Amino acid sequence: MNSSKLRRSLVCWLVLSPIVVTALFPFAVMLITALKPNTEVLTPTWWPSRVAWENFQTMWTATNFGNALRNSLYVSVLATLGSLIVSIPAAYALTRFDFKGREFYRQFLLVTQMLSPIVLVVGLFRLMVALGVIDNINAVTVVYAAFNIAFSVWMLQSYFATIPLDLEEAAWMEGAGRARTLVKVFLPLAVPAIVVTAIFTFINAWNEFVIALTLLRSQDSYTLPIQIFSLVSGRYTVEWHHVMAATFAATVPVAIAFAWLQRYLVRGLALGAVK
Amino acid sequence: MASTRVIAPYVLVLPSFVLAALIVIWPVNELAQLASHSVNRFGQIRDFVGMANFAALLDDPNFIASLWRTGIWTIGVVGGAIICSVPVALVLNEDFYGRDLARVIVMLPWAVSLTMTAIVWRWALSGESGMLNSALLELGVIDQNIQWLAEASTAFPMQILIGILVTIPFTVTIILGGLSSIPDDLYEAAALEGAGRWEQFRHITLPLIAPFLNIALVLNTIYVFNSFPIIWAMTQGGPANSTDILVTYLYKVGFRLGKLGEASAVSLVMFGILLVFTLIYVRLTTAKGAKI
Repeated sequence: MNSSKLRRSLVCWLVLSPIVVTALFPFAVMLITALKPNTEVLTPTWWPSRVAWENFQTMWTATNFGNALRNSLYVSVLATLGSLIVSIPAAYALTRFDFKGREFYRQFLLVTQMLSPIVLVVGLFRLMVALGVIDNINAVTVVYAAFNIAFSVWMLQSYFATIPLDLEEAAWMEGAGRARTLVKVFLPLAVPAIVVTAIFTFINAWNEFVIALTLLRSQDSYTLPIQIFSLVSGRYTVEWHHVMAATFAATVPVAIAFAWLQRYLVRGLALGAVK
Repeated sequence: MASTRVIAPYVLVLPSFVLAALIVIWPVNELAQLASHSVNRFGQIRDFVGMANFAALLDDPNFIASLWRTGIWTIGVVGGAIICSVPVALVLNEDFYGRDLARVIVMLPWAVSLTMTAIVWRWALSGESGMLNSALLELGVIDQNIQWLAEASTAFPMQILIGILVTIPFTVTIILGGLSSIPDDLYEAAALEGAGRWEQFRHITLPLIAPFLNIALVLNTIYVFNSFPIIWAMTQGGPANSTDILVTYLYKVGFRLGKLGEASAVSLVMFGILLVFTLIYVRLTTAKGAKI
């Protein structure tokens, strides 16, 4: 029995090997280049002669990494909170109330999901110019929060629907008001769903490119993707070991969080797709 | 009490509606204004010109070329991703040693921002010092360096392959959701009847995951059609606009050439195409709901 599972495992890994290799290849490139002494970066060998950990240190100052990291954290955390604050009530209303306009609201969310930032970017740019908030990371934060509403409501709602109504009904029977029941009974049960949604919103904001590229104009306000992009675009010499060290440092924490949470995403999306 | 029950859902929904509407409706209105007027270099709206901005697009060979290339890009990436994802999802649905690890590795490209992925690949594909060339040379697959990004004939297929790689995780996720909904006894019954693995796949698995494949198809089409960072960070649509798709063309016309009127017209054309995709999605999901 066990040896048959072993054989099956070998076959499975063999079938998956092309995609495993291509998925890991960029990480290998990032890490190996980041650890090459800068004299060896441009020589086309795979392995460095020694491991140059100091690249991460020199990268930090050379690429202005700390500032971009702070901006990215600021934008992503606030956008996540903002999006959750408006999405949780909306998702609750969609699961627990049957109201006129419910379908309209769902379709509206779908449309905002379809209209990606890139299609609207010219209009958004004009909006921000009119409001005088170009190069302002708070403006970027609001845009991120708004564009993540559809995803958040969808994810939250698919989890909320699995929370049994009985508990809330029991609380009402005992005389607790609707609002009190919501806070004391419903929300504690919904915490895992909220955490998962928050982390995915955070990752979306953390990785966003085109809005930041358009609305942020000065180095001081750059988020990580734009900061790193500015290191490679329109330059004669690119310090690839710094770029790869920066990419690695910006990517790995998020990748670990994602690896840990991807099973919840599988469940949430599957529920959302069926509902 | 009854009146609060009626109002409550609207109060709960309102903030999200207002915020999302602000960020969608104002820009869409602005796009419509810009596209139907002549706009000077400083972005001031001048005379109403009707469809002139759209006509200017049709006269621009780069627009037509980008439109076609967007079709190839979208079909190539979405088709490739679906073809690769079905076997991957089937394998990941099996019970084998290290399955959790395999799932994490397959999902990894999803966690990395497309910008970072594109920058890493741009470096890996560099002609003289790129690690792909050195790996292929060492393995004896090629005998001299290939300048991957120097011309469209190698750059664009590479971009499509990278597009496929980053689209697989989401597609596999959706298909796994579909596979988990198929009860095991269906396969046991089929095996008793003497159906082989291929027949089981054709007659049980495929029909049952078809709705999930449809959803993955439409959602991926929308995401890939809109996908900007891979091409922008690798080649910026170059060399000589030969890897431009609509989104990179739009960005260049709007923010490099400063022709906001024409850029808005491109946006509205994309808006129209996306609306068609959205309607297909709505049809697919509601049709499925009706069946269940």
